[in-house]
Amino acid sequence: MSYYVGTDVGGTFTDMWVADGSGQARVFKSPTTLDVMTGVLNTTRLAAEGYGLCFEEFCARIVRFGHGTTVGLNALLTRRAARCGVLTTEGFGDTLEIGRMRRLTSGLSELEVTDFFLHNRYDPIVPRDMVEEVPERIDVNGRVVRQLDETQARAAIARLVAKGAQALAICTLWSPVNPVHELRLHELALEAMPDAFITLSHEVSPGVGEYGRMSTAAANAALGPVAGRYLSRLEKELQAAGMTVPVLMMTNAGGVLPTASLTDRPAYAIFSGPAAGVIGSLAIGEMLGEKNLLATDIGGTSFDVGVIVRGRPVMRQEISVAGADIRVPSIDVDSIGAGGGSIASVQFGALQVGPQSAGSMPGPACYGRGGTEPTATDADLVLGVLDPNNFIGGAMKLDGEAARRAIHDRIAKPLGVDVMEAAWGIREVLDAKMAALLRRATIERGHDPRDFVFLANGGAGPSHAWALTRELGLPKFIVPAAATAQSAFGCANSSLGLTRESPVYLRAGGRAVPPDSQLQTVEAELARLSQEAAKNLESAGARGDLVLERVLSIRYRGQTNTLDIVVPGEAFGADAFLSAARQFEQEYEGLFGRGAAYSAAGFEVVGARVTATGHLPPPRIAASGEAMRPAGTRSILFDLRAGPVEAAIWRTSFPPPGAEVVGPAVIEFPGQSVVVPPGGVARADEMGNLHVSIAA
Amino acid sequence: MSNVTVNPVVYEVIRSRLLASTEEMRIALQSVSGSPTVTEASDFFTGLFLPDGSFASMGFQVSLQAPVVGHLIRAVHDRPHLEVRDGDMFMGNDPFVGALHQNDLQLTGPIFADGQLIAWAGVEAHVTDIGGMDFASWSPRARDCRQEGLRIPCVKVVEEGRPREDILEMILTATRLPAQLGLDIRAFIATINVARSRIAELAGRYGAGTVSEVMRLMIAQSERRTRARLRELPDGIFRATDFLEHDGEANRLYKIHGVLEKRGETLRFDFSGSSYQAPGFINCTRSGLEGAVIGSVMPMLAWDIPWNRGILNCCEIVAPDGLVVTAQYPAPVGSATVEAIWTTTNVVSALCNRLLACSKSYAPRAQAVAQGTMATFNLGGRNQYGEPFGLHLMDPLAGGYGAFASKDGYDAGGPHNSPMASIADVERNERAVPLFYFYRRLARDTGGCGTFAGGASAELALTLAGVDEAEALIMTHGAEVPNTAGLAGGLPGATVVQRWAEQGASEGVLDAAARFEMLGPKPGLRPMRRGDVFAVSWQGGGGWGDPLGRDPDAVLRDLNRGVISTQTASEIYGVSVVDGALDRDSTEALRASIRQRRIGVAMPARTVVGEVLLPIGPALTIVRNAEGDHVIGPSGHVLSSGHTRWREGAVSAPVQADQLPMHVLHAELAMTAWYCPVSGILLALDIHRADETPQHDVEIDLAQLTAPTTAQNVA
Repeated sequence: MSYYVGTDVGGTFTDMWVADGSGQARVFKSPTTLDVMTGVLNTTRLAAEGYGLCFEEFCARIVRFGHGTTVGLNALLTRRAARCGVLTTEGFGDTLEIGRMRRLTSGLSELEVTDFFLHNRYDPIVPRDMVEEVPERIDVNGRVVRQLDETQARAAIARLVAKGAQALAICTLWSPVNPVHELRLHELALEAMPDAFITLSHEVSPGVGEYGRMSTAAANAALGPVAGRYLSRLEKELQAAGMTVPVLMMTNAGGVLPTASLTDRPAYAIFSGPAAGVIGSLAIGEMLGEKNLLATDIGGTSFDVGVIVRGRPVMRQEISVAGADIRVPSIDVDSIGAGGGSIASVQFGALQVGPQSAGSMPGPACYGRGGTEPTATDADLVLGVLDPNNFIGGAMKLDGEAARRAIHDRIAKPLGVDVMEAAWGIREVLDAKMAALLRRATIERGHDPRDFVFLANGGAGPSHAWALTRELGLPKFIVPAAATAQSAFGCANSSLGLTRESPVYLRAGGRAVPPDSQLQTVEAELARLSQEAAKNLESAGARGDLVLERVLSIRYRGQTNTLDIVVPGEAFGADAFLSAARQFEQEYEGLFGRGAAYSAAGFEVVGARVTATGHLPPPRIAASGEAMRPAGTRSILFDLRAGPVEAAIWRTSFPPPGAEVVGPAVIEFPGQSVVVPPGGVARADEMGNLHVSIAA
Repeated sequence: MSNVTVNPVVYEVIRSRLLASTEEMRIALQSVSGSPTVTEASDFFTGLFLPDGSFASMGFQVSLQAPVVGHLIRAVHDRPHLEVRDGDMFMGNDPFVGALHQNDLQLTGPIFADGQLIAWAGVEAHVTDIGGMDFASWSPRARDCRQEGLRIPCVKVVEEGRPREDILEMILTATRLPAQLGLDIRAFIATINVARSRIAELAGRYGAGTVSEVMRLMIAQSERRTRARLRELPDGIFRATDFLEHDGEANRLYKIHGVLEKRGETLRFDFSGSSYQAPGFINCTRSGLEGAVIGSVMPMLAWDIPWNRGILNCCEIVAPDGLVVTAQYPAPVGSATVEAIWTTTNVVSALCNRLLACSKSYAPRAQAVAQGTMATFNLGGRNQYGEPFGLHLMDPLAGGYGAFASKDGYDAGGPHNSPMASIADVERNERAVPLFYFYRRLARDTGGCGTFAGGASAELALTLAGVDEAEALIMTHGAEVPNTAGLAGGLPGATVVQRWAEQGASEGVLDAAARFEMLGPKPGLRPMRRGDVFAVSWQGGGGWGDPLGRDPDAVLRDLNRGVISTQTASEIYGVSVVDGALDRDSTEALRASIRQRRIGVAMPARTVVGEVLLPIGPALTIVRNAEGDHVIGPSGHVLSSGHTRWREGAVSAPVQADQLPMHVLHAELAMTAWYCPVSGILLALDIHRADETPQHDVEIDLAQLTAPTTAQNVA
């Protein structure tokens, strides 16, 4: 028997998804540990036990080990990252301090930004006394206008070494256009600190805009020594136990890479957990033949949405981590503070839910850990959606009376309604917020949500999904077999993938075609990036079926936002430019409405990107399943006016193919409850995914 | 007014949707616009309005713009010949209708449901050029608003969904930057379309009456919350003054004088004591005054209350016509936003924070003035690509934020009228326009010193690159007025320094021998050649509390970060640093000697004991005993009895500009320090006209102060 393994390190739990050769898949969870690695090894041991094997036997049979984490690397970054210095151009040493002023409101919710007292939550990613300026300057065209002063550079490096720098980020102005000074500074730094982890900004984030590039380089450098060490130790430990394959790390952009290919750029994996969740949804979409997907995840504190259009996840070029703009290509996962732990309150006669969360300590009132504020989980309990005796598979008893009391005292009484109506209101308000995010993620990008298949993940996703799909006018939702460990599932089901980018620049006046020389530059860059991406992916283990995708970032002259336009090949002459411009205008009008296109403004191409993908054989998944067991009925409120109805309760850990349940019903899994509303029907497919259709 | 009742759940659901729509409007505008003021700096406004023009929701951009589109909506209603129909959109930019100045182009569109007008969507943005005598449409030379660009009172530019291309062409013909403005107008139309489709969908689902009732309730809700907040604050009269220098014609000094009378649940702002309107472009109209008041009251007193018209309903604004803040037609108002309006926001901030500083619950969040000026550097001509270009540099947003009563202000924290301000990367600016930066960094000694220090301002120096010449427009106020006043003994942030070195640089390097001339506040238009260097630092945030009260370790940190000089550390903060380390003993001695030097021989303390009623900042307290009410200093010494005009019992001394780091003072201004006569603690530093005496800034209504005020949650 061989095992496909995916792991994901979350804030509370480290998940592992395992598929054995028979296609039967299982999920294991153990608490995340501060050092990240112990939690992963513990979960691996748990899995070995689950299969009745010793740790070594299990490791020896692993044929793929995918790995992702957000919280892990994030924690390392914020708490225990290496002491990092920054070298930059003279005159610009305060770039991280000023932070484009964007650092001031980083991490604030929409309720907090109007309160200046709460601004400036995050300190600069590197303290000012660890930033050294070096006399040198390159201009916008890549011309050296001021020679690098090597004597002063050596002195600056020596000062950082004296202050204990273990890592170094080098970021000079315009290095993506001409890296000569960054490269020379690298040589000088290596003389003084040969063992330091050094990041060059033009390598890790070759875009125009020094703040994002410097933040990214600094985060990468600070993370390098710890992340690299942890990944190679994890791999060593597993291989010592007999594992013969490398650890494949999920990247922000959603392809996995062997850890060896990532040791110099850990920032590329800083957002791997959420990215893996979307990749998991993509894998399910591929199995089901669906190309437009809403990958949703409702946990305790947040509601996350990734959007997959025509088989491609929507991407973004920048993410914010602890106040720093990390500029690496990433899957765009939209998030709001709405989840099971969202706190409900009445303020001045108005009902509000979230974004504050009770977290897990004290947690919802029904946890009985001293929480007195009502949460969405309390509302679900009162409404009958949750079973007080079978929460997390019975691992935790919920206190229904505490939930009722909290909702009565804090919501029902001030609003002058009964507890049931108050609980209903909490759900409605929270569901409306989540629906608003789904609208934003689709309609705003020019898509109709009704063209999408809704995948409900996370502990609270499958119980809210029926209301959300109805709100958006969708006919059904799908609860993936691995809904509670979707990121771990994604890590085991991802292709190899990497992206290379370049800040090419091309400018065309209103309706004019740019000169050949500019077009040729773009063509040359596309060729260079393609070659580099292919070469790197091959060295990462890709064989044969390697796919390259070439993208240009285009905008109207003067705009800031760009659209990604796929170009068919490397050749980029006048015709290719015009066809890319036409495609840009088409997508643009799709986004902003007919008539919004304005060719008179002219065009700018501000970047090129090539993504290389190497297919990996997916694990076979065929569920034999575990028959659904009836577990009585429960009174559940689906509609305030209609009143509560008796719903059938079913239990399973993995539904067998073809199993069908007619609503009103709840199908209780160990970590989630799938709610099937009256008139709805849930049917399991041959891979264990539940398809829940909703009556119109 | 309405017979629709809305339950709390439906209310919250619709309210969230309306806020989400407002946010989508922002995204549409920022995505489509071609103006860096919009895409990079958020100098714009989006909002949803009731049929009568009251704003019900707004994005978190420039708060001064909150009431503006409402005036345009009312102007549409006043013109019956405009016949409002579904799909129409109306454009305006007239400061005598409601804009702040002509650069603020607005577009508004009615939203119909069930054949009934239920709301308006509105958008406003600063456009770089809208015609007029000089590039950028604000000219120090203008003596009349008709020289300041096209004025559009209220014009239908989209008729039942179809753009009126003839009118749009006329507007684009007036500007020097038609491609940029053309894209902006498309962005406006897209923005209104987004709002229209979202609200129509909402009305279709919940009913038109319900949606408009929710909008009314949102306003009522914010008004209720604001009134509740005001009931928590003490009654009294508060005074604050700020100044702006140079009206474009001559270096005259203008005063903006605000009196805040806070009674129960209302705020009354009286600006009657302000200067008459100016011959040059620094004035604002009454809509500017209104924008300044609401734009400051919202962040200062309603930080956690949804921003809408309800907050303004608690405010009364009093000012006769013809003042610098109520200029009459055809007064020039081209730079209103950055001159009279901006300065008024400083005054309103100072007034609101004097009030907060006397509150038991909110005193820790009282703050000194932030970024008291928005200096202008505009550049026009042909860019490095041979195209006509216009730059409105937004970097001057990065002044320092004021100190709070409980923590330091933020470096490059910006103004309080723009919660999400941001500036572009240097590289982005160098690519977009023909500029070359020598530095952009934090400027030393710009933050106002205090127990808690104001944030440092940024500074920059630049020249041209890729072109040989361009035309620069340079102007500011606050080069000779410390607008970022401190509070409670904190010092003001530095004044603006604008410098120019003709041929001061070669090949990317500032010449060591470059001779910089001081430009003063408003040098205006001037040719710039490659090699000419413009260097500027803006105002740091005001400080809070006596600088001698600052934690010496914090002073050492400031020194190590390079935001203060060693001279400031020793002379202002009284901190002794030897070889990079603190000398605590000599710091104590130094501070004692500075306090003693301030007051000479300390007078014997006359102390009283009584029940503490309220604080007045960190050093003063109102106490009550059998003899009455008293303001006492830190050592218990009585400064005033029977009233809170505590300056009557304090020691005063003039302060010269050169005693403060980085300060230049207008010839007609003076500064007066007020010390506790027993302890020598600095209680206040007043900036005032040299020919006037400082005013009493806090007069608490002691008769109303019967019991400790408590928050009341009225459902």
